[in-house]
Amino acid sequence: MASLYNDGKLKRFTPKMRKKLLVLFIIILAAFVGLGIRLYMIARNNGEEYARQVLSQQEYDSVTIPYRRGDIYDCNGMILASSNKVYNVILDCSLLLTDDAYLEPTLNALNSVFKIDTSEVRQYITANPSSKYKVLAKRVSYEDMLAFEDLKKAEETGSNIKGVWFEDEYVRQYPNSTLGCDIIGFTSGDNIGNFGLEQYYNSVLSGTNGREYGYLNEDSDLERTVIPAEDGYSIYSTIDINIQSTVEKYLAEFNEEYKNNVNIANGAENIGCIIMEVDTGNVLAMAQYPVYDLNNPRDTSALIGARQVDIKGVKTTGKPIELTSLVQNNETIDPDAVADISGTSDEAENADENGDGEEEDAENSENTTNPASGEPQMFTESLYVTEESLALMDDDTLYQNLNSLWKNFCINTTYEPGSVAKPFTVAAALDSGSITGDEYYNCEGFLEVGDHKIKCHNTYGDGYLSVAQCVERSCNVGLMHIAFACGKETFLKYQHAFGFGLKTNIDLAGESRTASLVYTPSSMRQTDLATNSFGQGFNVTMIQMISGFCSLVNGGNFYEPHMVSKIVTSDGSTIENIEPRVLKQTVSRTTSDKIKEYCNLVVTGEYGTGKTARPAGYMIGGKTGTAETLPRGNGEYVVSFMGYAPADDPEIAIYVVVDRPNVGTWGAQADAKYATRIVRSILTEVLPYLHIYMTEPLSDKEIAELEEKNIEDTHGYNSDISDEQSESDENAGDADTSESQETSGDENTTGETEEEIPENDEPWKEFAIDPNTGYAIDPDTGAYVDPVTGATIGLDSDLPDTGVPVTADESVSAVGDAPDVTQ
Amino acid sequence: MATNRFALRKEAEKRLRYFDYNLVVIVIFLLIFGLVMVYSSSSYDAFLTFGNATYYFRKQLISIVVGLGIMIALTFFPYQLLMRMTAAAYIFAAVLIFLIIPFGHEANGAKRWIYLFGISIQPAEYAKLAMIVFLAGAIMKMGRGINTWKGFGIILVLVGIISGMVWFVTSNASSAIIIFGIALIMFFVSTPDYKRYIILGGGLILAAVLVVLVIVANASGSDAGNIGGYRGARILAWLDPEAYASGKGFQTLQALYAIGSGGLFGKGLGESMQKLGFIPEAQNDMIFSVICEELGLFGALALMLLFVLLLWRLKIIADNASDMFGSLLVVGVMGHIAIQVILNIAVVTNIIPNTGISLPFISYGGSAMICTLAEIGLCLSVARRIRMRDY
Repeated sequence: MASLYNDGKLKRFTPKMRKKLLVLFIIILAAFVGLGIRLYMIARNNGEEYARQVLSQQEYDSVTIPYRRGDIYDCNGMILASSNKVYNVILDCSLLLTDDAYLEPTLNALNSVFKIDTSEVRQYITANPSSKYKVLAKRVSYEDMLAFEDLKKAEETGSNIKGVWFEDEYVRQYPNSTLGCDIIGFTSGDNIGNFGLEQYYNSVLSGTNGREYGYLNEDSDLERTVIPAEDGYSIYSTIDINIQSTVEKYLAEFNEEYKNNVNIANGAENIGCIIMEVDTGNVLAMAQYPVYDLNNPRDTSALIGARQVDIKGVKTTGKPIELTSLVQNNETIDPDAVADISGTSDEAENADENGDGEEEDAENSENTTNPASGEPQMFTESLYVTEESLALMDDDTLYQNLNSLWKNFCINTTYEPGSVAKPFTVAAALDSGSITGDEYYNCEGFLEVGDHKIKCHNTYGDGYLSVAQCVERSCNVGLMHIAFACGKETFLKYQHAFGFGLKTNIDLAGESRTASLVYTPSSMRQTDLATNSFGQGFNVTMIQMISGFCSLVNGGNFYEPHMVSKIVTSDGSTIENIEPRVLKQTVSRTTSDKIKEYCNLVVTGEYGTGKTARPAGYMIGGKTGTAETLPRGNGEYVVSFMGYAPADDPEIAIYVVVDRPNVGTWGAQADAKYATRIVRSILTEVLPYLHIYMTEPLSDKEIAELEEKNIEDTHGYNSDISDEQSESDENAGDADTSESQETSGDENTTGETEEEIPENDEPWKEFAIDPNTGYAIDPDTGAYVDPVTGATIGLDSDLPDTGVPVTADESVSAVGDAPDVTQ
Repeated sequence: MATNRFALRKEAEKRLRYFDYNLVVIVIFLLIFGLVMVYSSSSYDAFLTFGNATYYFRKQLISIVVGLGIMIALTFFPYQLLMRMTAAAYIFAAVLIFLIIPFGHEANGAKRWIYLFGISIQPAEYAKLAMIVFLAGAIMKMGRGINTWKGFGIILVLVGIISGMVWFVTSNASSAIIIFGIALIMFFVSTPDYKRYIILGGGLILAAVLVVLVIVANASGSDAGNIGGYRGARILAWLDPEAYASGKGFQTLQALYAIGSGGLFGKGLGESMQKLGFIPEAQNDMIFSVICEELGLFGALALMLLFVLLLWRLKIIADNASDMFGSLLVVGVMGHIAIQVILNIAVVTNIIPNTGISLPFISYGGSAMICTLAEIGLCLSVARRIRMRDY
């Protein structure tokens, strides 16, 4: 056996061995062939399935990339609403648990940066070790996100922070919180706009979500594709943030002054103001009080003091309600506080007797049983929202109350305009040729129309008045005559032309329909025509009034009111410029000039009702209004002033409405001065801001006022003052004097009309002056009388209670397509 | 004239001296291809783990350079000397394996490496080389005795001892099987009969089937996989990889996905998705699946063809070696490479249960690379001794 070696000759491979090696090689070859077949089978039978499997293992689930909602800017590019990126903190438990070393550093980092409770996270991780997506914190700021990323980059422990990532989200922010809340509106969580511009321009502001996803191309290769999000367009509003804030400042100031004055409530149920450019229809400011914080629209504290509504959205009437067992525990509710407001009439009497509102009288009148007896407790329904009534509200009622807060008073609330409608009546008559403007009408204090005796606010009568004087003194009788001269067809035709009963189509969500709130030729009777002539009996919205009024003073061009001037893309290129649109010619230029002339008298005339609206240094025109609300005789008024400035060549129009000022009722204090004072304060600041130069001389008092407000005297800038204007300056100066004197009128300034007013027609001039209010007191009725005009304050008219086409509501409230937001 | 003729003859003889360039070209080709694939399959993981995409590539390159050096040295080494080292080779293998017990370095639950002068060595790989030398020498010494059951049995027991040591000391069943397989192949070639190999092969297959059946029966009974332990679970995963997709079957399944998704021509070099964290250590035993994914069926078959050519070259060398010892050495090397390639591809394609077998010349691994190249060096040395005129 050792021979092979021992022979010394090395034996070579034998043929047998070669044969066997060949066999071996063939066996190996067969094995290779087998393997090759196996490979082929796998590729053929399972190829597609495995290819899909491979792709599905790749994490290419589509990821939504959120779009950025467009911003809202004011006309100067100041941000009213913007969307900012925030980050959601996501935990991937399975990744975190891949190594024990990761857990502690990661939890510590989460706790130190985001203040996340580590024990809760620990619990979650133990319960769901394979979870890959757990939102730990929502909407953390960029700074916090960065702080966390820095920790991850840190030398020592950073590499052990695992399984936390961030998801983008945008959050809507309103840097000015309450400013312009009713025009801007807010968004709910899913980027849906509610109210105002946010709702009206929702589709413009919204973009399209992007997506990141993988798909198989025709070669079964994975393609990863990112479709970037398309950001929404931004809009530039016509609103000027400075004017808007001035307006809101004075509305809030009014509220401060009259808050809890008679009722424990806001200074008025609503105060609204619109400022509009007369030659474009651009709305420069649109504000109301009460306001709410856009960043926190569901904050119920903003409701306090507002008029309460019930579960159907109808204003509460003060009826007795039974407390349910839910709130029977008298520890939660103070019965006195729940019923702090009694019925209006009680309150009104108190106010009448005591002059200033007593707040505590109400508590004894409540129909409450002893809480300890266990019987149902009866309370009177609260008329105004208080903290206690908030506690009693169920969710639906609360939502209704919020909804009425969110609504835009200026476009949503309909009401009877009152005397501010008189220029429209006169314009209709003049433009149709029904009157020439040279007519005189005899006011005896009332006019009998049909069965009704419709009073003028000066129940003593003003005697013979020209058309101009009718407007100046706001004489109802004269206006009724003018309307009768028109006839109802012409009157209604012009009402339609001025846009009453029609939507203005302003680009804001929630404008009311008023078609059912005006008369048609078939439904209008003579008494209706009579009351319509001075603004009672039909309902309007503020935006309708001011849009129509702009056309009266700008030469007859009716511009569509609008809020947005420009739409731009997210990178700033302009998509659309929204130009002013003239919709129609309402009246001729001649008529327009005459109306301006009359309206100027309201502010400048001796008997003018709107003198207190004139800001220092300027001449304006306008018309006051005091409308009685329904039911007639409840002593509640909507007072307003609608004006324009400057008087000779109007640039802006302003309309302020104070809905039921909190000043009591039979005290007759709700006169237009509540509105004119607001107008004066606003215009004093806004006109200089708009670079409209002063034309009128300033009294010492006014100079002091301007200095206090830090407003420059701009007389010197106006190089174009013509002689004509100087003359009117003088006139104004005279008017000023007469106003400041507050005595019987200066006969000389009123000129020829004076002759037609017999001396004995002004018996009110002999009345005693009330030292508290400055009004004369009529010895027969005890009512306050304006010592200059003889108007019974607060009693614009004693209207017939019939024939008012208000179909739905008894009182002023929203009608029509108010937006509905789900909670 | 005579001297002149003599000189010419000598010259001619010198020129006729055989050197197997074909084999060298095939090996070089395999090495380069392997390097590319190691880089392709490991760069992602290397970058994640070491921050350096070429980490594995560089180490592999160093192994190849060292291996080529050893190969060249062995090419000019008179291999006949090894016949005198038969016993020494056996002792060398045994000692190397025993060294693991005190000096072993544990990784992944098994002691398979020892560190010598900062270099990690896998003794099982060197044992394979040593066993080829030992077997060739032993068969030479046995002479015809190998044909008897006794002689056959003696050597088989000796090999079985080393195999057993590899199996139990390094818990490396695959290397043990390979060593045993090499021995069987060398016996098969050096003995004329077939009967005993058929009996032996049939017996082994029968035993394997029995083991599988027992494991399956146990698994379907109570709690799965525990009876067979570590390897039992592997076998269950082999039978139904999708049922163990997140455990033992994961690697196999991912490899199958890779092969299946490659299609005919693959996704293109470097385009594998499965290497991105799905196939664990894609540069090692499962590298063939990445090749299939990136280069498709076409690339895989081309590689297999290359191995067939390599084996064919080795067969030719064995057939024509100037002595039997050389032939047996080459047969051993041929058997070694053939077994590893076949088992590796069989594992990747889930024909046999998953066990750690690397693909020669391609897979990442220093010891295996150096040993394989050393074996090629021996073969080249054998080839150099071939006298051309014998043809």
